[in-house]
Amino acid sequence: MKIIFQNIWRVLLRELKMMFARPLYLFASVGVMLLSTFFFLTLMRGGSAEKMPVAVVDLDRTTISRRLIHEMQATPSVDIQLVTNSYPEAREAMQQGRVYGIFVIPSDFYRDLVDFKRPQMDFYVTNAYTVGGNTAYKQMLTMVNLTSGAFQREVLRKKGLPDDVIMHRIQPLTIEGHMVANPWGNYSVYLVSTILPGILGLICLMLTIFAIGFELKARTSHAWLRAAGGNYTVAMIGKLIPYTVIYLVLGIGCYIILFRFAGFPVYGSHARLLFGLVLFVFAMEALGIVMIGLLPTLRDALSIGALYSMLGFSLSGFTYPQMAMLPPVKALSYLEPLRHYYLIYVNEALMAAPAVNSLPNALALTAFMLAALCVAPRLHRALVYMNYPLK
Amino acid sequence: MKVWNVFVNELRRIFKDPGVTVIFIVATLAYPLIYKAVYWNEQINDVPVAVVDLSDSPESRAFLHKWNASPDVRLVCSCASMNEAEQLLRDQKVHGIIYFPRDFENQLADPLGQAHISLYCDMSSFLYMKAVYLSCNQVMLESMRNIQIDRYEQMGMDKEFAWALVQDAPYSETALFTPTGGYGSFLIPAVLVLILHQTLLFGICMLGGTAREENLDQYSFRSLIGRAGAYFTLYYALAVILLGLLPRLFDIPHLGAFDDILLFIAPYLLAVIFFSMCVSVFIRNRESGLVLLISTSLIFLFMAGISWPKEMIPRPWLYMSYLIPYTWGAHGFIHINSMGASLIHTNGFTASAAPEFVSLWILAAAYFLLACLLFYIRRRRKPCPSPA
Repeated sequence: MKIIFQNIWRVLLRELKMMFARPLYLFASVGVMLLSTFFFLTLMRGGSAEKMPVAVVDLDRTTISRRLIHEMQATPSVDIQLVTNSYPEAREAMQQGRVYGIFVIPSDFYRDLVDFKRPQMDFYVTNAYTVGGNTAYKQMLTMVNLTSGAFQREVLRKKGLPDDVIMHRIQPLTIEGHMVANPWGNYSVYLVSTILPGILGLICLMLTIFAIGFELKARTSHAWLRAAGGNYTVAMIGKLIPYTVIYLVLGIGCYIILFRFAGFPVYGSHARLLFGLVLFVFAMEALGIVMIGLLPTLRDALSIGALYSMLGFSLSGFTYPQMAMLPPVKALSYLEPLRHYYLIYVNEALMAAPAVNSLPNALALTAFMLAALCVAPRLHRALVYMNYPLK
Repeated sequence: MKVWNVFVNELRRIFKDPGVTVIFIVATLAYPLIYKAVYWNEQINDVPVAVVDLSDSPESRAFLHKWNASPDVRLVCSCASMNEAEQLLRDQKVHGIIYFPRDFENQLADPLGQAHISLYCDMSSFLYMKAVYLSCNQVMLESMRNIQIDRYEQMGMDKEFAWALVQDAPYSETALFTPTGGYGSFLIPAVLVLILHQTLLFGICMLGGTAREENLDQYSFRSLIGRAGAYFTLYYALAVILLGLLPRLFDIPHLGAFDDILLFIAPYLLAVIFFSMCVSVFIRNRESGLVLLISTSLIFLFMAGISWPKEMIPRPWLYMSYLIPYTWGAHGFIHINSMGASLIHTNGFTASAAPEFVSLWILAAAYFLLACLLFYIRRRRKPCPSPA
């Protein structure tokens, strides 16, 4: 027993020496994580997309159309960047990405209005940018309502009705929107809470592959096994301890920054969410072992690992919901640890769901760790025979 | 070695190195297909919603009936209480709850009343919120018109007048450029441009790292030109497939002129190639580039203001994003491909994608000069005694 611990200690020391000999290891883990955290937290500080620039094309050019535009400009939820008399100009502004919507007040608007001829307003939104276009669309609906409301108000005022009575006639029905667990409609809450752990997972996977694969590439796997007294398990444990410590520190650090300092809400259990994050980190590390075990050539394992884990960001369903995916793609999404972390995050942080809801995902993450054990014989053989191409 | 020899030699190196071939060819061609499969359904249809209707009135039922008819949502469950509905939301069985209070009907019947509907949206994805909230809003606007007409009639206005008053400003809405308006139509063009950017970056870093491991002479001016020429030739063909053909095959918007896309590819690839060659100077091993730079894919995507609107990006990051070829490439390509902007000033249309086109040429020139400088510095430095 004592000899096993001695061997683990020897492998660990050897690994630490290798780690500090090259800046890559710390750069690729701590450096990348710090940079990404700083980037995403400062990038999305604003949080919610409240208003996007839109253009108004005034083909009517009368006092009433100008007053209408003025009223729209005064509305806090509308951001009019361009008022023009020509539609082509507005369209071009849209093609240049300067506005996301165009609101057209038709010619003869005023005349038709007083004649009760029901002039038609046209509005155009771009779908080439999803968030911008949808926010502009919401604004356009507000603007149509304003127009319609303003007109009714004028008519009713002429009939001598007081303003509060008018208000209820113009707006007999309202919707109160409640955004569950995210009352500010702040997109950064779920985006950053998934992307940053996702990047950490990426680091765990790539660095684990690199740490093991480099022994194969540098033809040092025999020295590594020798230090471990020829025992594969000892060799792996000794090698992975320092990385696991780094990943855990980064994971806990990331957790504290997200849910303490940045103040992203956790309505459920902190303990379970943190446990989910730790499981996710281990699952990604295990997936790294699986990759290098199945493909014992450093660059193959890295390329496939990169492809696989980048897909996790799309398949996890935090931007494009999983319910809209095709059945085979849906099935594939369960092979991405990030999907399971994301579900645990939604359950714990946003929905405050009972523990049993997250249990399947926690078990799935555990299954990735077991998969790492399955490739052990193959990886062991590769370390002994070094029978795979170098580059 | 002459420039031509370097050129031929580099192409040979690319195809003889399976690691590079995987990145340059396999990943570049496979990734678009995978992404198309992931974002196959453009629309998020039939988002399940729970109903809590305490008023249980003909009005609320009419509202629900209308809402259920919209493609965005599906009313799956009628709950007796908010608690029950919240439970369903927690279990992710539904992604929205609509709540009618007990006095809903009375408020509508009262000519001065104002009725309230409460809508609870699952915020775990932007697209749920969009489907639930916007479609409910539309039904609300429609229902409101009918109520208004009733109320004006009660006031003694004649029906025609009430109609005209309420309908004074009918509107038509048009989604420009991408008629299906889906998420795939929006994201796939941006992803195609990113795939070219990142595979070039990783591949060039891998080739540079390998040359450094093998102590090849790679920092001469001729090598810079010859290698850049090899990448450009190979990637021009790939870019024509990705940016020119795939949008047509994938049935996503492609309003741009084909010539414009062919023209636009040139400065984009040059800028990316010289940018990547500058980065590759700092890469010591063939694999370390991939390990170090993999997360830039997400950073470039978000910094460019594609998923996250550029209006909301803090100034320092916005300026920083101008230095990344992807930013200009993505916006330029979206403007040309998805919105039909053009590069050339033709009858009546100004060259609305010109700013991105010009910026890419400037970036290409700047990174070319920087690459020359970095290569020169590297060349002067004595070869390090074999970095591990």
